Amino acid sequence: MRGMALAAAICGVGACLPPNVVSNDDLVGELETSDAWIRTRTGIERRRRVQPGVSTGDLAVAAGRAALVSAGQSADFVLLATTTPDRPCPGTAPEVAHRLGLGDVPALDVSAVCSGFIYGLAIASSLVKAGVCARPLVIGAEVYSSIIDPLDRDTAVIFGDGAGAALLRGASSEEPGAIRAVDLGSDGSGSDLIAIAAGGSRLPARNGALSRDLLYFRMQGREVYRQAVQHMTASSQAVLERANWQPRLIGAFIGHQANQRILNAVGDRLGIKAECRFGNIAEVGNTAAASIPLAMADTLTRGVVRPGKRTLLTAFGGGLTWGSIALNWPDVLPLYMPPQAPPACQDTPGSLPGSESHGPAVQPWLLPTSITALNGTAHEAEHVPS
Amino acid sequence: MHLTETTPHSPKHIGVTGIGAYVPPQLRTYQDTAAAVGMTEQWVLERTGIRQRHIAKSEQATSDLAAEAVRAALSSAGIGADQLDLIIVGTTTPDEICPSTACRVQALVGAQRAVALDVAAACSSWLFGIQVAKQWLTTNTDIEHAVVVGSEVYSRFLDFSDRATAALFGDGAAATVLSRVPQTEGFGPITLGSDGTQAEHAWIPGGGSRRPASAITVRDRAHAVHMDGRAARVFVHDVFPQMIDQALSASGVKPEDVKVVVSHQPNPVLLRKAYARTGLPEDRLIVIGERVGNLGAGSLPYALAQASAEGRLQTGDAVLLVAFGAGLTWGSTTLIWSGATIGDPSPFIPSASSAVSSRR
Repeated sequence: MRGMALAAAICGVGACLPPNVVSNDDLVGELETSDAWIRTRTGIERRRRVQPGVSTGDLAVAAGRAALVSAGQSADFVLLATTTPDRPCPGTAPEVAHRLGLGDVPALDVSAVCSGFIYGLAIASSLVKAGVCARPLVIGAEVYSSIIDPLDRDTAVIFGDGAGAALLRGASSEEPGAIRAVDLGSDGSGSDLIAIAAGGSRLPARNGALSRDLLYFRMQGREVYRQAVQHMTASSQAVLERANWQPRLIGAFIGHQANQRILNAVGDRLGIKAECRFGNIAEVGNTAAASIPLAMADTLTRGVVRPGKRTLLTAFGGGLTWGSIALNWPDVLPLYMPPQAPPACQDTPGSLPGSESHGPAVQPWLLPTSITALNGTAHEAEHVPS
Repeated sequence: MHLTETTPHSPKHIGVTGIGAYVPPQLRTYQDTAAAVGMTEQWVLERTGIRQRHIAKSEQATSDLAAEAVRAALSSAGIGADQLDLIIVGTTTPDEICPSTACRVQALVGAQRAVALDVAAACSSWLFGIQVAKQWLTTNTDIEHAVVVGSEVYSRFLDFSDRATAALFGDGAAATVLSRVPQTEGFGPITLGSDGTQAEHAWIPGGGSRRPASAITVRDRAHAVHMDGRAARVFVHDVFPQMIDQALSASGVKPEDVKVVVSHQPNPVLLRKAYARTGLPEDRLIVIGERVGNLGAGSLPYALAQASAEGRLQTGDAVLLVAFGAGLTWGSTTLIWSGATIGDPSPFIPSASSAVSSRR
């Protein structure tokens, strides 16, 4: 049994965004909406979409590798939070762990929709504190383009694809990156507010002849808005109370990038200073479980928060689920990678474990400024071998 | 910290304080299976050893089965749903892609203050969920009770042109309540592992982000369980004795002190062969496959419930737990029993299965 750590701290952050940028104008064609309407109602200007066939696992491998290189360390446990696993069975995490070259470390998927990364961080923190593992890798990865109805105006413009990851290690609770307090909650009575009716055991996809309303992701926008503001505010207050932190002294606030108006309402209710609220919803939209780590990576890249500053993360999502984490702002250099194609060895089940090369052709790179300045172009030009 | 002052229970010792299971009433017998897969009844019995499986009613999904098991486990623990702080559902057949099945279960049982999430590690999900719940309880002293459920409705993911899998999987659920227990009881160290190089040895290929559901995936039967039976056998034969050794050495429990061995239940034939390699006495192995088939994430807790129902577990008895499944994933641990008993043991006692087998 390893020694018990006082706290778990984020020691590496990685992100992956597919190169394909989809602007509001690219989507408005058939949707009876407009760029102006989308910007004012959601704050979203563009989002990323994978090419068909690129899976959540491909994004997770890229973000995970970037986080490991960012930390300069390996992982001994993998938690993958996603709504869109590569397939119903088995979990996506073991394959991701293998593609990261982590051997036979324990790897599991966590399902809590948009709160998944916060749930994953909370679980990883307890594993570190209990001495079960030393460096868990928590990944939030999503390919919502695989479940979104392109003809549904309420959701088609909101969601984007992407992945973010954080590596944790044992630390003192005063160190940068250390998690100070956690608050999680769920309310299954709101399960139908954010749901995909078909594709599981309730209504299997194989039945065929299912309507769009059953096959695709659907959200009751107005009620979700109300519940999101209420729960993110209350959960934030609970976690700040647990950490014994005053809202006005929060140096960095990152909420789940669901909708800019929700984020504004939560920030206002909590009394967080406007200049201390961070996010990148305009550039990436709502990336569900990937949203919080992608916003953290973006904020870290811009270098606008001093390591150690009091930080509040809060999320809300389908389930209903919500969660908040109080932590010290980490002292890490975030790295980015493009989606990683699945290894060819998948087509050769005869290959021995460990015999294939784990080294990717592309190494993670450091972006000189915020990813928001690049808009997905000329990534290769920024390639810095590491 | 007040817990350590007001109760004799250790904050570091987490054990099973309630257990329950549920299988839907409708049966698919080995005769039905033989007819459905186009093989003889003898082939089904010799290859799988599975005499019958339970099939969910059309209106039942995975959360409905899980909720029944949770209610039974809460009753066994003598606590109310409003005392649950954490619900973890392990399943490969969730109700929907979104939201989690655990949130559905939360609403069904009325566990309003609980945190609910699904964990996916295929047939090892229950033990992976136990590790999460155990450490959550260990590090959050204000949390008192968690429930970890394994639940599956495989009957909607079977392709009867694929006899290797169509003959194996059944529907059912089992749940365990976890709480703090005295220092002499509870789970030992939990060892977990995974090997993603063999993700396609047992899988449902369609309906995820790699191959979203479409007319093509339906045509390709990509929404059914597919399995490489030979690879699965090799894996189980290898991993089973290793996991037994691992659990014994990590916990310090002596082989002769193990009261029962509770494992994932691939099928009775494979399980017994793999177990024979461990050298442990034959009568300690719990086998449920004859009566319920392979319940995926539900198999291991269901077998634990069966051991309790048969009266084979008293307070202080050592249980050896072995999990393995698709992913690949595996794990093992020991559990010193805290005396939890099944409310209604009648579905579990061995005579129930012999009654079925004598129907012909």
